[in-house]
This record gives sequence, structure tokens and C-alpha cells, in this order.
Amino acid sequence: MRFHKTCDGHSRRDMLKAGCLGLGGLTMSQYAKLAEAGQENVGKTGFGRAKRAIFIELPGGPSHMDTFDLKPDAPDTVRGKFKPIATNVAGIQISEHLPKLAAVTDKFAILRGVSHTLAAHQLGREYVNTGSRPIPSLEYPCFGSVLSKERPADDDIPSQVAVPKAGHGPGFLGIRYASLETNSTPQFGQPYAVRGLSLAAGIGVEEVQQRQQLLRKLDRRFAEFESAGSLIEGLDRFGEQAYSMITSPRARKAFDISQESDSFSKLFGEDPFGQSCMLALRLVESGVTLTSVQLGGWDTHQDNWTKLSTGLLPKLDAGLSGLLAGLELRGLLDSTAILVTGEFGRTPKINDRSAEGGRDHYPRCMFMLMAGGGVRGGQVIGESDDTASGPRHEGISPDDVAASFYWNLGIDPAMEYHSETGRPITLVRDGHVIEKLFA
Amino acid sequence: MKRFCVRSVCGAAFVAATCLSPTSGYAADASSRTNNSTAAISEIGAPASERFADGATSEIPNFQKHVTPLLGRLGCNGRACHGSFQGRGDFRLSLFGYDFKADHEAMMAENTGRVDTEDIEESLVLAKPIDAELHEGGKRMDQGSWQYNVLRAWIAGGAKATGSDVLVLEELEVTPSEILFDAADSKIELKVIARWSDGTAENVTELCRYTSNDDAIAAITESGQVTSGEIGDTHVVVSYDNAVVPVAVIRPVSTPKITQLDSSAHRIDAHIQQKLDKLGITPSPVCNDSDFLRRASLDITGTLPRTELVRSFLADTSTDKRERLVDQLLDQPAYAAWWATRLSDWTGNNEEELNNVLPVRNVASKLWYEWLRQRLLQNVAYDDIIEGIVIAKSREEGEDYGTYCENMSDACRPGGETQFAQREGMPLYWSRRNFRLPEERAIGFAYTFLGVRIECAQCHKHPFDQWSKDDFDAFSKLFVPIRANAGAVGKDSKEDREKMLASLGLNEKTKGNVLRKTLTQSLEKGKTVPFGELYVDSANAVQRAKSQAAQMKKKGKKVELNIPTGKILGQEIGIELDRDPRIELMAWLRSADNPYFAKALVNRVWANYFGRGLVDPTDDMNLANPPSNEAVLDYLATEFIAHDFDLKWLHREITSSDTYQRSAEANDTNRLDRRNFSRHIPRRYPAEMVHDAVLLATMTDATANETTKTLEGMAITDALSLYGDTKSSAFALQVFGRSGRESNCDCDRSDSPSLLQSVYLRNDVDIHRRLADRSGWVNQTCRDLGFAVSNQAIDEKPSADQAKVERFKQMVKSRIVEFNKLPQKRQDQARTKLKDQIKIYSKRLAEAGVTLPPLDALVKNPSLLESDNNSKDVEKDASVADSKLLTAMIEDAYVRTLSRMPQQDELQTALAFVNDSEKKSDAVQSLMWALLNTKEFIISH
Repeated sequence: MRFHKTCDGHSRRDMLKAGCLGLGGLTMSQYAKLAEAGQENVGKTGFGRAKRAIFIELPGGPSHMDTFDLKPDAPDTVRGKFKPIATNVAGIQISEHLPKLAAVTDKFAILRGVSHTLAAHQLGREYVNTGSRPIPSLEYPCFGSVLSKERPADDDIPSQVAVPKAGHGPGFLGIRYASLETNSTPQFGQPYAVRGLSLAAGIGVEEVQQRQQLLRKLDRRFAEFESAGSLIEGLDRFGEQAYSMITSPRARKAFDISQESDSFSKLFGEDPFGQSCMLALRLVESGVTLTSVQLGGWDTHQDNWTKLSTGLLPKLDAGLSGLLAGLELRGLLDSTAILVTGEFGRTPKINDRSAEGGRDHYPRCMFMLMAGGGVRGGQVIGESDDTASGPRHEGISPDDVAASFYWNLGIDPAMEYHSETGRPITLVRDGHVIEKLFA
Repeated sequence: MKRFCVRSVCGAAFVAATCLSPTSGYAADASSRTNNSTAAISEIGAPASERFADGATSEIPNFQKHVTPLLGRLGCNGRACHGSFQGRGDFRLSLFGYDFKADHEAMMAENTGRVDTEDIEESLVLAKPIDAELHEGGKRMDQGSWQYNVLRAWIAGGAKATGSDVLVLEELEVTPSEILFDAADSKIELKVIARWSDGTAENVTELCRYTSNDDAIAAITESGQVTSGEIGDTHVVVSYDNAVVPVAVIRPVSTPKITQLDSSAHRIDAHIQQKLDKLGITPSPVCNDSDFLRRASLDITGTLPRTELVRSFLADTSTDKRERLVDQLLDQPAYAAWWATRLSDWTGNNEEELNNVLPVRNVASKLWYEWLRQRLLQNVAYDDIIEGIVIAKSREEGEDYGTYCENMSDACRPGGETQFAQREGMPLYWSRRNFRLPEERAIGFAYTFLGVRIECAQCHKHPFDQWSKDDFDAFSKLFVPIRANAGAVGKDSKEDREKMLASLGLNEKTKGNVLRKTLTQSLEKGKTVPFGELYVDSANAVQRAKSQAAQMKKKGKKVELNIPTGKILGQEIGIELDRDPRIELMAWLRSADNPYFAKALVNRVWANYFGRGLVDPTDDMNLANPPSNEAVLDYLATEFIAHDFDLKWLHREITSSDTYQRSAEANDTNRLDRRNFSRHIPRRYPAEMVHDAVLLATMTDATANETTKTLEGMAITDALSLYGDTKSSAFALQVFGRSGRESNCDCDRSDSPSLLQSVYLRNDVDIHRRLADRSGWVNQTCRDLGFAVSNQAIDEKPSADQAKVERFKQMVKSRIVEFNKLPQKRQDQARTKLKDQIKIYSKRLAEAGVTLPPLDALVKNPSLLESDNNSKDVEKDASVADSKLLTAMIEDAYVRTLSRMPQQDELQTALAFVNDSEKKSDAVQSLMWALLNTKEFIISH
């Protein structure tokens, strides 16, 4: 299976890791939480309205100027080929290649002029997946891992599912909070299952239970190394969870998208991204705390407009509009926090790397989308300057967005974790909740 | 070679930051050090902050020495500010400095007012950072400060560039060179002296940038003050000009000792111990025999030890049995197989990227792999193996194009890889789709053979290393003349190739699928087909230079012939590209003073044994990321070269050390150590090993013995299964994180555990099938014990298919149920329709390997469509098993999975389980299942 590759390769998180965690470093298999999160925030605007979450990542870095932040009056050198169209919210315009989203703009908020400084794919992704700018000595956890810890799902359903792969790991929380990666994407009109979740023919639940009991008795070799760290702990956790999921039909059913009617499926578009969005909806419905979905291929250094108009935008348009409509239809939109983001925007200035031209990495100005839970849809927050080269006023940082996302989910972004050695770590180091989102 | 070393001024190994106990006696304190060095200081220029304190000096600051570093210190050329690719406020500086020409031009650009030598104070580079002119970046310095005075004096002096040649920084001397803290919140100031090749020296402490590799252990301020934090060891890093100097900082666990190198100990152990002494860490003892056997077998051969070996090794009482075991393991075919897989990882053997290189698919990566494997089998020296790749030619000495194609055609037919492996060179390395552009080659070459990531320098000065953009560009130029496109051939072969194409009914213009299809078919029919070849297009470059020179001459200008050159990383002298530059590149790689080549390999091999490199990440050797134990890396690299790059020597040297053989049990001093090798750190075994371990553990001894000889079906050798989606092993390998070999990163391979891995081992159809295999160990054992063996068959298809099958069956069933509801009369009419409908399903079910019963039978009994759970054999075991036999069976199960005998309580648990089970064969299967699912099975220990 191939996933989209970006121009600087993937898995590059450790570029900054020179030197690595030393002895006494923050590997943190065990840590203590300072305070129960956010008790004092209950009742504040938007706090904790959402119970579950969907994180849609657009790896590669989607061009903000050709999607949700068009500048029709900008000079030729930056403007781009697409025209803006009106949406169902007066005064908000988005790209002509997003007509379905234009029809449901009242259901989501557009953040413009989001700004940071990391122009490399892996670092940028780490930043937007965690809400904390990557630092050498500490790897922050992705949203799903924090939610897995703070809002764990029942044992027979995973807390966090990544379709097909996670954009970032659990960082200092330890691998026990890593996501279940499906390694594949659902296809339209076909039954879907995560391999291994169904019981094979000829093996009954009772037999699995007996085996599990035997395993618990025999698997004691590392008991004395309990402090050996998150590896052992994580494996124990995964083992128990795997057992619960295998023996219960709940997870299997949740993954089987063929249980949805054709007409409902078609809402999402027939490509794997749309179907992944539908899967995310089913998973939310079944109790998975956070589902992440990816649509890659946004690294449009060349042929930016062809790539967007013929593939990426129609897919995003169908999948995301279907997701918003579907969640609303099922009465889940009010309790599901949604965040859509790439790792950065793209240069306003059009390059000449191909006949058609393209845009390069550009973290100083980008867009993000938020919806669901306490988020008020149909509004634009933040603004970029005339050429979308930067925020017009004070920019929104990925930290602010992360803080708001957590806020929506009832997790105080200022809560502290503690390292093994007692070092306090603030969940979102530098973020402030964007109050306007929830107003 | 531009290398920057930390100079140890007083010869003392350490400088203690504060108040070390006077009895410890090994540490000079910081102030006395300063006094000792006064003599030296008098020749050294005073800091800029003193010289420019009042602005009265007549000294004109130097652009490279003072202005650029100062801009770095003030944050001007950072990524968030003017160092950004689009600049900021229309003013762009090179990221991290060092592009002096561009930076100077940017500052001097006309009509920008950035530098105004007439009206100095109005220069924006002065007015902006003091925030007199509205500055988006805020206030960076005060008016009248020494920083201000430096910039001012430079402008007043004419704002000159440094000159056409970049000054060479000979040495950046940082004192102290190593810091030992004994408490938290202790502080020490660094002092930095720059020594230039023109003989001048200057205190540049205030002009450097400072970073910490772990600020929890050692925080550093922007003025170079180090503050101790948690216990541990790390480095703070000093950057100035193109120098990057790490300074070790240690806060020991317990009272540290400074010890002499123990000359009687194993050299690795002696060096490791010396570092551990500094850290106050006591290492764990050496592990027991069964741990060693399992560890060494898996690490060296990627394979679980065979059961006889476990038994004989545990029974062996001789003292040299561990060394003998290592020798024995190194001689096994699995050794070559596993390390060829690792070398394939590092060299980037990826079928997808080789897609169009050969006329047949899925052969190139196999040839590549086999070429490596044969060499490892014969223990060819590492540098010779690499030579075969680096200077690879397509044609052997004396081979004409026709013969070459004939031989390659043979190599591409089934079984031809052995023949290919005998060829001298392995040019496929150069033909990959992601290795075509000179820049891609520069990055990939440095990754594979140097363990260095130079990609940062493609656009700007490397933030952690000495490499500038110029270094990168000069290096990538070396790769320009090398051509290795799929269909291309050298000039002298063109005609032959055309002839060959014509004989196959094709011509030069045939392209794409038509070409490919014809070639594949012709090859299959036994015909010889044309192949592309690697050639060095040096003539072209020379020709161009000549014609350029001729043109200039025409214009009456006298010119020298300007042949393009490229430079080896870090070398001053260029290589003219009128010849194959790879010859000199290879000579440089294997030369004894190459700073990377041997180290990169030694470090990667080390990481295979310890789960982390001496330099970690293993492909990121840079100045800011020094090895956790430099002495060990130096020793191994030097000796590896001295032993003529003998790989088996390296494996023996590492595995014979106590350091390798440490137990995983921690003590109070080494519990938190993860980087100094004071104990074994458990890790999950690589994907291929997990896959093969399941395979071997569930095979009978006879089959397993045969398999470890032929390696058939084993993932450590079956390179193709890494890519083919059709092979069922591909799924397991993907779930367990085999290397995708696509991004020039050792992190392509992952050893993190995951939920899906646990699900796989517990419930994947692969595992059930292995356990229920009729000729597998479980069934064999049950038959031997007289247990009735169930007839259940595990569905051969993975669950996605299975779900599909179930669905189709249900659809068929519902159609039949509905049909049965119809009155008899209507049934007759509906029968044809039903038949057609079911035909469609039966066709799709047949694709999934399921045959439907005949329609009549189904109509009579729709329940035939139920899954065959019911067909399970429910026969009960009458036989009461002999407990001795049962014990032997349980021991066997332990030996074949965990490579050890069960402990008493484990034996009792397992015995009780089997005895209590109604169906004994299920109990044996369950026991095997449980052992495969213990952490001990997939975690090193």
C-alpha cells in the first residue's frame, strides 16, 4: 500500500532530536497528573460540549489561497487560477471547487491567518498534531493520545483509531496511548474490517477466554522489570485491549461500513477519503474517542491547480461536507469536535517549477477548519493580509487552535502532566482558547 | 577537512561547575582554570562587548566575523524572521547565516535604506532593531549598546563585504570542554575563542548561538551560561560561523570516579566502564545462557535458535561456549540473509523505485538482495561490497553490449539472481527513480554511506553541522555525469541496442507499455532483450566547456578551459568531471582518515545489537549530535578499518563484550540509563524476525531445520515479500513496521509496538492457520501423544475477504429463503431467475475460494450456507496422557518459542491447563498460542 509522500520524505521527526533523551530524560512511562482536568471550567462557554472528536489531517500542506482564503484582487504573481464562490453564509466565500462545502458553511468555522514558522513537513505535522512547537528534549502527544488517556473508551472499542495511519505518536504519554492504525482505507460499496478483529471460523469466544487466562498466568517474565518502561506497560495494555475487542462484536460492527445504506454512503463521495470520513462517523457513534483521517497529496510544488481541481478538492469537498451533514443527521454534530488542518499553507508567490506553476511550503499563513461541539459554524475567525502572506492582525497559532480543540472536548489546555522526575509539562504550552469560536 | 575540535586547554578532563567535594581531587574548578589560561588570553582579542563598549574604537568590524554572527545572535536571520524563505518586510537573509555574498547584497540593496553610509543612524539595520522605526520583530538591542556600536562601526567603515574569499575558521575553542555538575541549579559560563586561518584569535563568547540537546539536564542561556538540572548526561552546543561544537554536560547518579582505562578488559567494556564511572553508574551483570543464546541468535541471524541448539547450549559446560556460538551463528546462511536485508535497508533496495529498470517486474530488488547476500555469505570486506555499488558498471570487463544483454536476460529469468550475484558491480543502486537528480543522489549517498543527513544544506547552512549550501551544491555536482536511466545506453552501444530492438520488431520510438510488454514476453520466450546501462557522461561536460572556451576566444577573450568540477563533502580540492568521479569518491570512502564511512557502518551494526546507536539516530551523524561514547565508536571504526573492513570481526568484537551481554535487570544506578549501555534495554524485535519466529515455532523440528537451511518462506531473506501485496506475509511485515526503504531514513523501520500488532498475534488468520497447520508442530505433537486432532480448517482468507464471503452467503441464503416462501407454481417460474442471481454470487465466491453447494441442495437445506463452525470435531479424548510425555511436550513448547526451559510454576500451570481441558489437542494449541503471545516472545531480553 502506498501513502502520499511529501517532498522531504516522511518520518523525519527526529531531525530535531539530536542528542536525544538522556538518562533521566522524559521518556515517562509513569507520570502523575497534577490536577484533575478542568473541573473549574465546567459551565464556561463551549467547554466540554464535545465528547468525541474527528481529526482530519491534510498532509503535504494545502494551499490556503486556493481553498478557504482566496484573494481575488491580489496581483497575478500570487492570485492563482480559482475563483471564489458564495457560501450559504452571507459574506463568506471559498474556492469554486468546494461547492458542497459552500452549501454547509454554516456548520463549520474557518480560521484564516493561522501562522507558525516550521516549514518542514515532519516538524510542521508534529506541531499541528500536538499543539506544541516541537522541542528537542520532549515529544508531545498527539490529540488522540491525550484523549485516550483522559477520555478512554470502553475496553472493547479502541479509544483512538487512525485511518489509515497516525500523523503523530503518543510522545511522552507512552505507547500505551498510541492509536489503532487500520493500515488500510475503506472502499465504497465494499465490506470493511480491520484484519484480526473478527474471530476466525472454528474458534469460539469461550476458547479465546480460556487462552487469555492461560496467557495471563504465563506472561510474567517482565513483571520484575515493571519500571523498564512504557514498552512493557504498553504491550500489556494492547494485549488486554486486543482481547476485549476480539471477543466483542462492537468494534467489528463499527468498522463495517457496508452496514450503511448506499444513499447514505454516497453523501461522502465514493473515494476512500470520503468513505474514511463515513467510517469516522461510525466510529464516533460507537464510542471511539478520537478518529483521525488523512487525505494526503497536498505538497503541490508543481501543477498546483490541476492537482487541486481534479483530485484533492473534490475529494475533500465530498468527504467533509458528507461528514458534517451525516453527523447532523445522526444528531452527533453537537457532541463531536472536528479539526481539519494541514501542516502549513503554501507560498502566495507562484513558483515556476512547472509550466503551470506551483506553490511551496509556507507556514506563516495557513487555514484550519473547526466544527462541532460548542463551535459556532458559519463564521470566519482571523484574517490574512492582502496577499495572504501573513495574518493581517495578530495571527492565530497552532497552539491556540489546539487549546480551543481541547477546550471544546472539556480538557483544560493548561493542565499539567508530570515527568518521572517531577518536571511539570503543560499540555498546550503556549496556547490560548479562541473565545470567538464558541461565542 | 574542516573539522572543529574542542580543545582541551589544561589537559584536565573535567571542569567542575561548583563546589565539588575537595576530596574528589580530579576536578579543577572553573576559576582556577581561567587563571591558568591568562597567558594565552593576552594574545586573544578581547570580546566585542569590551572593544565596542563606548563606540570610540577605530576598529572596523568584519562582516563574516562580527556582523553576520551578531545578526544571528539578535535573531535577525532566524526562520521566523528574515531567515524565512520569503524574507520578512522584503528583507531576506540566509537562514543561519553563512551565505555572506547574498546577505551582504541583501543589506546593501539599493533604495532600501537598510544600510546608509552617508546618514549612518538612519540605516534601517540600526533603526529597526532598536525599534526606532516600527519593527515587527520588536526591539532586539539598545541604542548605544555594544551590539549597536558594532553595526554602526561597520557601516561607518564603509559597510564592506568580507571579500571574495570566505575566511576560514581554523578552530573554535570552547572552555570548559566538558562540564561535571554535582547538584541541580549550579551555573557555569562558557568561554569561546575563535581562531582564524589568518592567525588572529578573538573571544567570541557573545557572538555565538547556544542550544542544549536536553534542557531538562542542562539549560543554556543565550549568553552561554549553563545551568544544571536533572541527573543525566547531554551536550550543550555552541555555533559560530560554520563551526558547531558540542560540550558534554554530566550530572552523575552517584559519586563519580575518574578511572584509568582498564587495559585487561575487553576494549569496548573498558571504554563503556570509563564513561559509566563518570556517571556513577554500576552496570548490570552479564545475562544467563538462555538469554544470551536467544539474543545472539536473533541479533546475528534474525532467527530463533533451533530446539537442539537450545538444549545442547544449555547443557554445554565449557567456558568458551558463547564465543563458539557466535562463530557458529556467523557461519549460518541466516546470517548472510539477515544482514543482506539490513544492507538492503540502508542502500535503499526498493522494488517500486526500480519499477521500470528491468524488462520484468519484481526482479530488480531480488537481484539487488541476492548480490548483497552472496557477498555476506563469503564475508567479502565491507569496503569491497560498497565499491561494487559505488563504482558499479553495467558491463563487466571485456563484455560487449550483446553479451551483456544476453547475461542480463538470463539473470532476469527465474533463478537468475545467482548469476547476477556473480557480477562485479551492482548498478541498480544508481537506477532508482528517486535517485536520478544530482541533489537526490547527494542526499541518498550521504545517508547510505556516510550516515549523514545533508538535506538541510540543500537550501541553507546546516543548523547542526558544518555544511553550507555551497558544500551541498559542490557535492551534488559530482553526480551529474552519471547516467542510469532505464532505457539509456552509452554512445558505443546505441547501434547494438537499435539492432536488438529491431530484431524484436521494435524501434527507438517504442515506449511505455508496448515496449515493456514485448520485452517481457520476448524474455520469457528465451530471447535476449536490450537492457539500459549505466554510463558516465563526462565527454559531454568537457565538450561544453571546450565550446564555451572557443566562443570566448572568438570574442577575443583569453580563457582557460573551464571544466566543471564537483567536490567531495568537506574536501577543498574539486574533482574535474572529465572522468568518472566515483573512483575518487570510493577512494575517499575507504581511506583510513574518512571521518564517516567506517563509523556509519559500525554505528548501524551497533544499533542492531543494542537497539540504539552510539550516535543516535543512526543516520544523523552531525557535530551537534556527538556519540554517547566517542571512545567506543572511534575504537571500533579504527579497528574495523585495520581489520580490512572485516564484518565478521566487527560482529565478534561487539558480541563478545560484556556490554553486549548485560542482563536487562536494572539496579538503582542504571534504572534510568538509556544511552550508556549499562544494561540491556528490551526492545521489540524487527518485523521480519517476528514473522519468522512465529513460523519456526509452529513448525515441526524436521521442517524447521530444513527451513533454516533453505530459508524458504522466511522474511529475513524473502525480500520480494516486502513489496508484493499478494503474499500474506506482507501484511504482518507491514503491521510490525518493516522498512519501506523510501525516504533515506533509518526511521523507515519501526520497532514500536501497537494495538494492531497485539490483535495480529492473538487473532489473525495467519496465526490461527499456523497453529492449526496439519503438518505443523501442534498437530504432530498431538498425534505423537495420541490426542485426537480436530478436523477444523482455518479459513484461508484474511478477514476482509471472509466478511465478504459471509455477506455473499447471507445474500444467497436470503434469496433462497424468499424463494422457498413462494407458492410452488411461482417457484417454477422463479427458478431461472434465482439460478442467474446465484450464478453471480457463486462466481464471486469462487474468486474468494469458496464453492457453493448445488442449487437443489441449497433449496432443500439453506442452512448449508451457515459457516462451518459446526463441523468442528467434538470427539473427546479418552486417553489420559502420560504426565512425563506431557511435561516433555510443554518443555518443547517453551524451547521452541522462548528458547528456554519452563520454570517449575510455569510447568505446573501448563500441565494443569492441559489436564483440565476436555479436548487435549485444543489445549496444546492454546498453550502454543499463549506462548506466542507472551511479551517475552517478541521482546528482546
